[in-house]
Amino acid sequence: MLKGHQTWVFQNRPVIASTGVSGGPFEANSRLANDFDVLHEDLWMGQDSYEKAHRVLMEEALEKALEKGGLQKEKVQFLLAGDLINQITPSSMAARTMQIPYFGLFGACSTSMEGLALSSFIIDNAGADYILTGAGSHNSAVEKQFRYPTEYGGQKPPTAQWTVTGAGAALITKNDGTFKNPVTTSATIGKVVDMGLTDPFNMGGAMAPAAADTIQAHFRDMQIEPNYYDLIVTGDLGKIGQEATYEVLTKSGLQIDREKFQDCGLLLYKEDQPVQAGGSGAGCSATVLYGHLLNRMRNGEFKRILVVATGALLSPLTFQQKESIPCIAHAVSIEMQGEKG
Amino acid sequence: MVKNLKKLYWQISTTVFMVFFLAGCGADNGNGSNNALLNATNPKPLNIAAKGKDNAETIKKDVSSMPEIYDVAVIEGKKDTLIAYKVKHMQRFRMKTIEKKLNKRLEKKYPKENFTVSSDYKIFLEAVRLKERIHKKGLPKDKAEKELQKIIKLQMEMT
Amino acid sequence: MGNKQNKVTPEQQKYQQLQKKHELKRPVLKNCIKAFLVGGLICLIGQAVSYFYIYYFNFTEQTSGNPTVATMVFFSMLLTGFGVYDHIAQFAGAGSAVPVTGFGNAIISAAIEHRTEGFVLGVGGNMFKLAGSVILFGVFSAFVVALIKTLLVMWGVL
Repeated sequence: MLKGHQTWVFQNRPVIASTGVSGGPFEANSRLANDFDVLHEDLWMGQDSYEKAHRVLMEEALEKALEKGGLQKEKVQFLLAGDLINQITPSSMAARTMQIPYFGLFGACSTSMEGLALSSFIIDNAGADYILTGAGSHNSAVEKQFRYPTEYGGQKPPTAQWTVTGAGAALITKNDGTFKNPVTTSATIGKVVDMGLTDPFNMGGAMAPAAADTIQAHFRDMQIEPNYYDLIVTGDLGKIGQEATYEVLTKSGLQIDREKFQDCGLLLYKEDQPVQAGGSGAGCSATVLYGHLLNRMRNGEFKRILVVATGALLSPLTFQQKESIPCIAHAVSIEMQGEKG
Repeated sequence: MVKNLKKLYWQISTTVFMVFFLAGCGADNGNGSNNALLNATNPKPLNIAAKGKDNAETIKKDVSSMPEIYDVAVIEGKKDTLIAYKVKHMQRFRMKTIEKKLNKRLEKKYPKENFTVSSDYKIFLEAVRLKERIHKKGLPKDKAEKELQKIIKLQMEMT
Repeated sequence: MGNKQNKVTPEQQKYQQLQKKHELKRPVLKNCIKAFLVGGLICLIGQAVSYFYIYYFNFTEQTSGNPTVATMVFFSMLLTGFGVYDHIAQFAGAGSAVPVTGFGNAIISAAIEHRTEGFVLGVGGNMFKLAGSVILFGVFSAFVVALIKTLLVMWGVL
């Protein structure tokens, strides 16, 4: 059901029945390593190219989600997935393996929430019984496409971010009241915001206005206050983007507790891991939300969270042609069942 | 793993550094050819010409009197005279001017001689080595002349 | 970036100023010192290699340049292949990019990266992806400089 200008409210409260999260070697050393279901020691994942390794990550996340949900893949009606690689081939090839009717999504790093919002909407409106949604990224495959070869010695500025090697998937299903699982309650679809930033090594700064715009829209449409949520978490803004978003929000009169405003890219890695401004990539919000954050929700640490995944919709071509970076953000609110708001 | 890598490349770079550093210092000290690249050797001038002319000593004195130059090797052959010299560190920016100046000076003083002048370390090294071979191994004069020609030919090489 | 400046709306400008405040600056001085030290170290190794060729082979200072460059590129090839060079570069910045080892790294990293697309279209086609412009503009500027010198000599200026 539409509420306000750009927000869906899911009255039937679709359930996130199970999740699967896979990660690479760098993530195995991260702060949240315990929240990953599958971790690889090898960046190649036994494949002969990074793109194939990327596909393996996606497949594993999807299969893990199904396995934990105790469901045959034939029962799943739709698969909504996406990633950052050209023509989202890793997702499409994972869909080929899964043999589930498939929507390919591209929202750059906001793909995870785009998928979750759409899946919830379809389930909410009885368009399906089970939907798998997921997003992933592979550091080396993404670097290869967007930046320089992996082994190339170019110094990254402190504003650069580290693309997460990992994929997260979730199984969304109808709410029959029996599950003790998180549910999605509303989603705000963001519009593309471009503040004219052109530095591809400072994505956080470019994406911040989009995140702020979507968060503002969410509270405006839902007519609630920020303290409704125990946690507002952004996808991959990194240090700079998060600070900038917070300042924009504060200036616009939206008062959020600083501790309640977190970022997946900053939660994931340890201080001493050389990730510059933080993690990024489609896999960043997907792995942290579907792994770490939902685990904490199940443990009762949070009752209600708002996840705002941000994406920079650029391609190597557009920034070489001196185009500024258009950005987008989608927000999904997730609540633990039984805690009626 | 990344931590290990960090450690690893420090280890690699220090080993590489140490290997070259020690290799440089490890060579036995002394004024032989072993050290001719790094230290001032000050080799005695050498005359391998069969005929009676003997300008080597004076040539060496002349060249050494230039303030920019600190180490000179002179080998006087039948037709050609080889002069190898080292230029003081800060003067190396003016290498070409010094060479021109030296050539002019030599031509003026010894118009009959045919000079090959070089500031190349390799030429200097070879000159010292040739001298050593003559003195220690008693290389005959005609063979020494041939070796001298070889050095001169090496000096001509550009690439 | 300069051509963009006139198209920026006031709203964008306002945000860009806000963003600037939070943007982490590159530690330029620190980077320069690191680059100086590492770059110097690489050159020291290069000098040692050069002396090695002078001392043990029949190369003069003049002619030892070529084998030294080849050796340094070989070293950087090994380090790139072992996955060490990019870590050195993150530390050293220009210090490891400017010497010839950086050029070697640019070629070899691209060759490794595109090995998965095969030898002809992958390695062959992409090897000079990064270094190609160095070669092109290097050769071109050398040509221009040589042309200028030739003309000056012809006109009797030099």
